[in-house]
Amino acid sequence: MNGPLIVQSDKTLLLEVDHEQAADCRRAIAPFAELERAPEHIHTYRVTPLGLWNARAAGHDAEQVVDALVEYSRYPVPHALLVDIAETMDRYGRLTLSKHPAHGLVLTTTDRPVLEEVLKSKRIAPLVGTRIDADTVAVHPSERGQIKQTLLKLGWPAEDLAGYVDGEAHPIELAEDGWALRPYQKQAVENFWHGGSGVVVLPCGAGKTLVGAGAMAQARSTTLILVTNTVSARQWKHELVKRTSLTEDEIGEYSGTRKEIRPVTIATYQVLTTRRKGVYPHLELFDSRDWGLIVYDEVHLLPAPVFKFTADLQARRRLGLTATLVREDGRESDVFSLIGPKRFDAPWKEIEAQGYIAPADCVEVRVNLTDSERLAYATAETEEKYRFCATTDTKRKVTEAIVRRFAGQQILVIGQYIDQLDELGEHLGAPVIKGETSNAQREKLFESFRQGEISVLVVSKVANFSIDLPEATVAIQVSGTFGSRQEEAQRLGRVLRPKADGHQAHFYSVVARDTLDQDFAAHRQRFLAEQGYAYRIMDADEVLG
Amino acid sequence: MSTEEKSAAPRSLAEALRVRDDVSLAALLRSRPDLITPVPTDLTQLATRAGTRASVVRALERLDRFALQTAEALAVAPDPASYGELLGLMAGDEEDPAVAAALPRAAALLREQALVWGADDRLRLVRTARELLAPSPQHPSPTGLGPTVREATAGMSPGRIQEILAAVGLRSTHDSVSAVSALGALFADRRRMAALLAGLPAESREVLDRLVWGPPYGQVTHDPAAHLRALLDRGLLLPTAPGTVVLPREVALHLRAGRAHRAPEPVPPPVEAAATHRPQVVDATAAGQALAALATVDELLKEWDEGGPSVLRAGGLSVRDLKRTAVALDVPEPVAAFWVELAYGAGLIASDGEADERYAATPAYDEWRELPPAERWARLAGTWLTATRTPGVVGGRDAKDRTLSALGPNLDRSAAPEVRHRVLALLAGLPEGASPVAESVLARLRWERPLRGPQQQRETGTGAARDDDLRSRIARWTLSEAELLGVTGRGALAAPGRALIGAPEAPRPATADDTGEPEGPGDKLPVHHHRTPPVTAPPSPAERAAATATAARLLAPLFPEPLDHVLLQADLTAVAPGPLEQELADVLGVLADVESKGGATVYRFTPGSVRRALDAGQSAADLHAFLARHSRTPVPQPLTYLIDDVARRHGRLRVGAASAYVRCDDDATLDEILADKRAAGLGLRRLAPTVLAAQADPAALLEGLRAIGFAPAAESAAGDVLIARADSHRTPPRAAPEPVPDGPPAPDDTLLTAAIRAVRAGDLASTTPRKPGPAGEDGGGEDGTPGGTLPRTGAAETLATMQAAVLTGEALWIGYVNAEGAASQRVIAPIRVEGGFVTAYDHTADEVRTYPLHRVTGVAELADDAG
Repeated sequence: MNGPLIVQSDKTLLLEVDHEQAADCRRAIAPFAELERAPEHIHTYRVTPLGLWNARAAGHDAEQVVDALVEYSRYPVPHALLVDIAETMDRYGRLTLSKHPAHGLVLTTTDRPVLEEVLKSKRIAPLVGTRIDADTVAVHPSERGQIKQTLLKLGWPAEDLAGYVDGEAHPIELAEDGWALRPYQKQAVENFWHGGSGVVVLPCGAGKTLVGAGAMAQARSTTLILVTNTVSARQWKHELVKRTSLTEDEIGEYSGTRKEIRPVTIATYQVLTTRRKGVYPHLELFDSRDWGLIVYDEVHLLPAPVFKFTADLQARRRLGLTATLVREDGRESDVFSLIGPKRFDAPWKEIEAQGYIAPADCVEVRVNLTDSERLAYATAETEEKYRFCATTDTKRKVTEAIVRRFAGQQILVIGQYIDQLDELGEHLGAPVIKGETSNAQREKLFESFRQGEISVLVVSKVANFSIDLPEATVAIQVSGTFGSRQEEAQRLGRVLRPKADGHQAHFYSVVARDTLDQDFAAHRQRFLAEQGYAYRIMDADEVLG
Repeated sequence: MSTEEKSAAPRSLAEALRVRDDVSLAALLRSRPDLITPVPTDLTQLATRAGTRASVVRALERLDRFALQTAEALAVAPDPASYGELLGLMAGDEEDPAVAAALPRAAALLREQALVWGADDRLRLVRTARELLAPSPQHPSPTGLGPTVREATAGMSPGRIQEILAAVGLRSTHDSVSAVSALGALFADRRRMAALLAGLPAESREVLDRLVWGPPYGQVTHDPAAHLRALLDRGLLLPTAPGTVVLPREVALHLRAGRAHRAPEPVPPPVEAAATHRPQVVDATAAGQALAALATVDELLKEWDEGGPSVLRAGGLSVRDLKRTAVALDVPEPVAAFWVELAYGAGLIASDGEADERYAATPAYDEWRELPPAERWARLAGTWLTATRTPGVVGGRDAKDRTLSALGPNLDRSAAPEVRHRVLALLAGLPEGASPVAESVLARLRWERPLRGPQQQRETGTGAARDDDLRSRIARWTLSEAELLGVTGRGALAAPGRALIGAPEAPRPATADDTGEPEGPGDKLPVHHHRTPPVTAPPSPAERAAATATAARLLAPLFPEPLDHVLLQADLTAVAPGPLEQELADVLGVLADVESKGGATVYRFTPGSVRRALDAGQSAADLHAFLARHSRTPVPQPLTYLIDDVARRHGRLRVGAASAYVRCDDDATLDEILADKRAAGLGLRRLAPTVLAAQADPAALLEGLRAIGFAPAAESAAGDVLIARADSHRTPPRAAPEPVPDGPPAPDDTLLTAAIRAVRAGDLASTTPRKPGPAGEDGGGEDGTPGGTLPRTGAAETLATMQAAVLTGEALWIGYVNAEGAASQRVIAPIRVEGGFVTAYDHTADEVRTYPLHRVTGVAELADDAG
């Protein structure tokens, strides 16, 4: 009894990472426990019903789960918890969704009272059709996602054996010339394909696009890729042409400006959620071809209208990609139930240790407001307060000092407020990319930044996602979208692409002390801190001095 | 007892007892302690007492199922019966070997308990027991047997009996008694009986089959069908009442092949093992749970530390408070009730007895906290084992349909300690590390202490499920509570739990006891205590103390060593990978918030928690030193920074109380004031160069400053100068005078009613016609004038009349002189006369009053028509 694992009564598992058995233990508990936090010494996993059911779906039984806990636990595992695990896992598979030769999609049960119980639920009633026999009830094919989601909420998850449609076949191969999928990418593709549908969580810069490409090469069918914006769409296209057998002509872009539908179509969330006269005209895209695979890039940003539509697509394979499955609206579980469970997740630090993302030095620089600013801050309207403290003048001085310190390196300055960015751009003599910057202009600036023609770029939140800036080594965040954890992670991701010279990346977050800014910063950093990124805190004087 | 069989046959229970040796008498008294409270004077008295109904019922209720079945069989056997007859009834014609083997033990047990006496050839069940167990129409026997032929034919006409004799082919005799015995003998004769039954139609035999295992009574119509008539004619069914017939006992026994019980249970059902775990796993799990139990009790007490929930008027905890506690402890409500009751039982919480009664920790809790963990646990477990309060019934309803609340009254179930002890003893009998099948434990308990009259229950249907009785419920609770408390681990009894009940420390797997193998035949001596129900006498306090001490000693090494370090992480959490030393845990509990509990504890540092530590008097340097001391790894920079950051702001704003202030733009003036000795009484303190705070109130301050020679001006709350006129003099708060009206205030209805009543009562006293005084000296001719003189009697007579009135409950008319010498007359009904006072209901005043007898001038009885 001296294992690396401590099983807490609140169903969290604490794993001591420095323990010699830690790696074995991690493998044993990974199928059913969610990694919640991964700081330096003790990683926290959580055992959730969803995790246990996913483990069941992947073929693990309660006995294995209990064995894993008992085997590695340092202290005796509370009996009640073991009983609870067995009971929870036992709930899975009492209900099955399957294809019936005569009745189409049906819900069958091995335990009649359970079926009676769920059919009594008001939320299930509208989703099912006629009762075929005592143990079987017909389900509308279009409600497949909905009923799965609802059953999950009722605590009787259905095992989905109805399978997937193959979709329209289209040959896609990875063109592995001079490069190959990294082991974890291969593993992610494999897990996804084995599981049918689901979400792959990889740190920024760890090559999620390639996981998408790998999945497409597995599916060998027409694919719809949903991305956040046009720039990102172009990059996907560029990457796909470079990494696969697909040619430019086979890849269509479906955005505000172009409406191409090709065997592989890349659409933006924005165009899908455009609303005219109360309807979403572009949602037809989902039905415009017999897609064999749908890829959701940055699935944590999936807009709500797409949720509803995704529910109707349960017969197609779905792949979600994200770096941080934290949604500030708390709808993570909807993502899991509609796209699929998490199929692959790698702690950031583990990928860093393998050398696929650059190590990063995270620093929070605390600046003091000047006396007059403090007074103004104290009297500012509540909704103006954050803006006020986030755009203090001192931040500009600190930013300039940091830029000076890293002169010669590629530096990104990221912020929320256009005025502040314009002013910074002026002082630093750097171009500013913001919402009104045209796409052509953006790409031009990105290209020259990539080529090293300009070394400092000031960007607003438009550049939060999916812009590929391979050689940025320093990022300075001067303000953000309040306490958004995933924005922080995405921004750190801007500097995590591995550097040619193995250089360390630097991430500076400039924060006004004793203000809302500081509170938000603490919240923003939480996700990364839990991933093991230890922020150092510096005083502005240390930077300026 | 063997001596008893050798001596001349005893003629009574007393004689039988007299020949028993001391050991065997001691055994009797041990198992029936009610016989020696109070100690009887002689054996005759002991025998009499042993035959009283209450004592016999008590003894019968404590018999195991087989002994009870044996007693029941004896009750349907002839009196006296030989051992052979008893064996026949129990083992049947085919002579079940298991029964034959177990019967000597049961017989010996009954004899030991003085329920049966007499030598083997003349076994007698004590009369009371026989009455209790023998079948009667009102109380059918569990054997399902009816009355004997003799009993059933009592009162039957001799002619009818002759007819029956003729029908079964017996020689007729005019003597009814011998006729009945002949019939009985026929029924008891297997061979002749078989022939008789063979001659019956099949339907008739079906009827008998239906009645054979009881209840033996059946209904017949006035004109029975042929197959019933055949039975009635032959006396195989005998009428008991119009329309009712009974199957005579002899017939039933023949049909049952001689067996009194359908299913004799000579062997206790074995306790089955559900699973076997390694003893180390069991002990470790139990220890983990024991630790969790301590933590839970601690948490409960902490939760209630600053004023627990209030006590209901009827006593106990309200449902809402229990719910709240359950939420706080993160357990279901019944479990919360268990912990609350446990803490209460151990004397750690109690009602504070204030006017607004609340539950709070007792001083004993503080002492308990100081104990080492294992001893703390032993105290809880020891309390639990012997407690009669059963948290399991909380939430149910008592006989008066009141909800039973936790910590409330009526939770005591006297059977609880014995059942708990017995359940654990059964677990102790299993091989090490084996967890029992709960059902088998319950079955075993039911065998050891069967409910009497299960048949009645089955009939009325009130018994419902078989394991719904209190003892079974307590047994179930015991199994789950033992797990919660860490007496068992994964269902199996752990070593400390084993020590707790005083069971041997190292049990050999599977003793003969538990496989339930019968002992060798012929072993009749009453030394089967391990097979009989447990001795009801609880272990002495000294034994218990020794057992808990041993349990604590065994548990201590199983607890993980308390740690003196934590792991600090950059995400501002600290993980204690095990139980912490008390002191460390206390400080950390203030400095950080607990996020997750269990084997380990996860703490999170927040600005709020750090401030809490600073508020508690720690300085930032203290905190840094504390963390550095208790961290195995370097303290993460963000944590250091957090502490410094909070400390930097901590206490920057200061708050204090002052009654008045002095402000002046000129620092020098304030220096001057502070330096002046005369200002010392004003309690001045400099807050800032231009501000002084004073403890004196503004008026006194103004006065004081003027006295020194300054000319201060008063300021309003808004800072304006107050233009003060000469001080107006004021009294302290005073009430306005009440108006004094001319006459008395108008009476309200209540007052009026009371007044009328008093008047009427006084009227009664004065107008009631009286009997003439016995001495005839009470005012002579004035008798007829109501409202006249007071009655006047001598002191002795007054006393005698009063005492008589107490007995008869009559009302008296008295003359009374009050302390001021005013005479009055009253009508009273004396209740008590003692110590020179009479306590009486005074009809005049309409209340109970006490009068000194010496002030009563005289007394007279009221005339009969009074009132």
